[in-house]
Amino acid sequence: MNDLLAENITIKFGGLTAVDGATIEVPEDGFVGLIGPNGAGKTTLFNAINGFLLPTAGRVSFGDRDITHMRPSERARLGIGRTFQKLELFVRVSVFDNLLIAAESAESRLDIVSDLLSLPRRHREEARCSRIAEELLNMLDLGWARDRRAADLPVGHARIVELGRALCINPKVLLLDEPSSGLDSDETARFGQLLRRVNEEMGIAILLVEHDMDLVMDVCKQLYVLDFGRMIASGTAAEIAKDPAVRSAYLGEEGDEAAPASAER
Amino acid sequence: MQVFIRTLILGIVSGSVYALASVGLVLTYKTSGVLNFGYGSIALFTSYIHWSLIQGWHLPVWLSAVIVVGVIAPLIGAFLDTSVFRGIEGQPQIISVIATVGIFVLFEGLVYLFWNGTSHRVPSLFPAGVVHLPGGTIIGKDQFGILAVAVVAALGLGAMLRYTRIGVSFRAVVSNRQVAGLMAINSGFISGLSWALGIAFAALMGVLLTPQTLLDPLYLPPFIIAFVLGAAVVGYMRSLPLAWVGGILIGIAQSFFIQYVRSQGFISKVSDSIPFILITLAVLFAPRAIRQSGIGASFVVRTRETVRAASKNARFSVAVASFGFLALIPMWATGSWTYAVFYGMTLSIVFLSLVVLTGYSGQISLGHTAFMGIAAFGAAHAVRDAHMPMWVAMFVGALAAVPAGNLIGFIAVRVHGLYLALMTLAFAFLADSLFFQSASISGGEGGIAVARPAGFGSDKAFFYLVLGFLILFSLIAVNLRTGRTGRVLAGMRDSETASRSLGIPVTKYKVLIFGLSAFIAGMGGVLFAMILETATSRTFIPFYALFYVAVAVLGGIFDVGGAIVGGLLFGIYGKLSSYTPLSFLNRIQFILFGLGATVALARNPEGLIAELRRGGAAITRLFARKSRSTRSSPVPVAGGQE
Repeated sequence: MNDLLAENITIKFGGLTAVDGATIEVPEDGFVGLIGPNGAGKTTLFNAINGFLLPTAGRVSFGDRDITHMRPSERARLGIGRTFQKLELFVRVSVFDNLLIAAESAESRLDIVSDLLSLPRRHREEARCSRIAEELLNMLDLGWARDRRAADLPVGHARIVELGRALCINPKVLLLDEPSSGLDSDETARFGQLLRRVNEEMGIAILLVEHDMDLVMDVCKQLYVLDFGRMIASGTAAEIAKDPAVRSAYLGEEGDEAAPASAER
Repeated sequence: MQVFIRTLILGIVSGSVYALASVGLVLTYKTSGVLNFGYGSIALFTSYIHWSLIQGWHLPVWLSAVIVVGVIAPLIGAFLDTSVFRGIEGQPQIISVIATVGIFVLFEGLVYLFWNGTSHRVPSLFPAGVVHLPGGTIIGKDQFGILAVAVVAALGLGAMLRYTRIGVSFRAVVSNRQVAGLMAINSGFISGLSWALGIAFAALMGVLLTPQTLLDPLYLPPFIIAFVLGAAVVGYMRSLPLAWVGGILIGIAQSFFIQYVRSQGFISKVSDSIPFILITLAVLFAPRAIRQSGIGASFVVRTRETVRAASKNARFSVAVASFGFLALIPMWATGSWTYAVFYGMTLSIVFLSLVVLTGYSGQISLGHTAFMGIAAFGAAHAVRDAHMPMWVAMFVGALAAVPAGNLIGFIAVRVHGLYLALMTLAFAFLADSLFFQSASISGGEGGIAVARPAGFGSDKAFFYLVLGFLILFSLIAVNLRTGRTGRVLAGMRDSETASRSLGIPVTKYKVLIFGLSAFIAGMGGVLFAMILETATSRTFIPFYALFYVAVAVLGGIFDVGGAIVGGLLFGIYGKLSSYTPLSFLNRIQFILFGLGATVALARNPEGLIAELRRGGAAITRLFARKSRSTRSSPVPVAGGQE
């Protein structure tokens, strides 16, 4: 029972209401998309779910735990991972170390004494966590980039490294913030395949904020639509495509036959 | 009532001078992005020129002031901008902070070189005599002169910014440098001009202030740093009018404190510390956007491709050879050389504490003398008052510095980059003026005796004690970097946001690394006291914290080797300058190291150690070629920590 639920979330910045009573639920093995026009409040809602922001009102729960007031690092240790729209890799560190840092954070407790004195325990733990990082590196076909500095990777690969790093904390649910930005359509399609594997084979729930409608319609089992901070619709991809409220949000009043899929193009 | 009015007026007068300088500082900061920590020592330098022109060249005071403020100071400003700061443009903010620390050291050095640092009385611009105000208050005429000049200068700047074409360009550059560049505004010219103006204001401050106080290298620069930075922080260095108001307020506060709080002891010490208390509070309670404006401004520098990671074996053998060589020194060297080398190695230990903090973690501290002092006095008291054996006391002392480090680390979670630099600087000054200057803690002029531990009394034996600690801390630093903690710290340096999202407790790690750095610096402080066999406040004056950062950068702040090179360099330099034909070295030491740090940053942020490695690699390659070995792969280059 590890459903992620954000209920009636309201977030105000001064007088501005960025998110207004939005509710979103990610079931245990769900693949949920969150879409909406620019400035709708998607990333803000994201930040409330993973703890970078404290919502003005509302409640976030994970399974049966109330996590509204938990720090981001505590939520991460419960199994909520995330990636960022603006890449946040450890740029001066090798790709492998990016993954290793994450794996160590989740898998092993820091023992500062054995670390600073280089005792055997440190090397045992390092070997154990390295195996996890190594496995993910292979799964993601990133073996060739193992010892490169993360800063030297092109965006397409950097996005995959960031995904891999989030996977290293052994998450139960992943929050992905526009992973397709900066990718071309081939790369986006491949990224979609990868996400499907993560969801189906690894059994990790995904909440995807995305602008690329093809990707969203392709991979998400369920969609939520946010507009001006309000959740204006939710349902399956097909339902959302037909929803008049969604079409007006994307296309202005009384849109023509074009589906929302082409709205962002 | 008369006293009240007089105090108020005097406060406003000196406040108007601080306000002027503070506006100059903020103007430069806003146009060029550089907060000049060397401001005070440049003002000191120009004030000495002013004094020389009057005393040596017999120029009238007003003419000398015009030359210094109108010609020499602007030239210095423009020169610094083109020769130093243009070169490090676009680098993280912390680089420019350290470059200005180098400038601070450099100009202080110039004053010692040309004027021996003796203090002088400077004649006033204004006639003597007093004015009788209605109500019976008596004020010196010069006070009104100062006020008039300071206000006219500030208003003049305001008018220029407001009404002239150049002023419009200024404001454009201030609001957005890049866009201003696209609008065909020469932002290089504007930043050069702002430097010229900023330094001119510093010089004007010196001209107006030194007749009131005293021209003294130990007094003036810290004084100016305190009051001017304090005033600038009132507007969070964003607003010129607020910086001006801040200066006036600080002047008034100081005036009233001097007038009404005459008591001796702790309270009188507080009055010296007002600006630093103000800086601390202002930074701690700043809005989030300001406190964290240094975010991402960690010490990230491009490292050159030529320096590659060395193989473990190569590193190990270089390390063993170096330490082995050091261990042999007392066997053949004279006593004074032995002394020079263990002095240098003690400094290396202090630099190691900066390497783990700045080089590995991207954090900055301009206040490490505080940790050194806490540890040294802690150890001294542990022996004197608690009758501990020295062996125990030295660890007790170093451990006493740890909570102070933890505290700064905790603050570093909230405060970043430039503001962290300011905070730590204020911390060093506060520790000095509130505690180290008090006789009950530091034992007054004579200090407190700190004996070397039993069995290590002779210089030769003490040498090995220092070497032992140097090796121990080097190993810890290497283990830190190669292990999990180092990985996490490197990760946090690149992105704290991502670290949090991976479950890394960022606060805990910052508290940890500042604590470790404080411990190492603290042990360095204890060893320093043992060299002199006394702990005195003179060993830990805040200026040295800035100097240490400069020399550590010169040696190389990114790895252990750099700390060792930097420390030894300084120790050997001190020894060389003791020979008569080389005694001039003593006089130019601050110039050389200040200039070295500034230039090193502009040209090669990795410091001397990287140059040495490149040299070593070239020699290795030369030998490899001579032996015509069939190996086609190049010999691994001993390399930086990347």
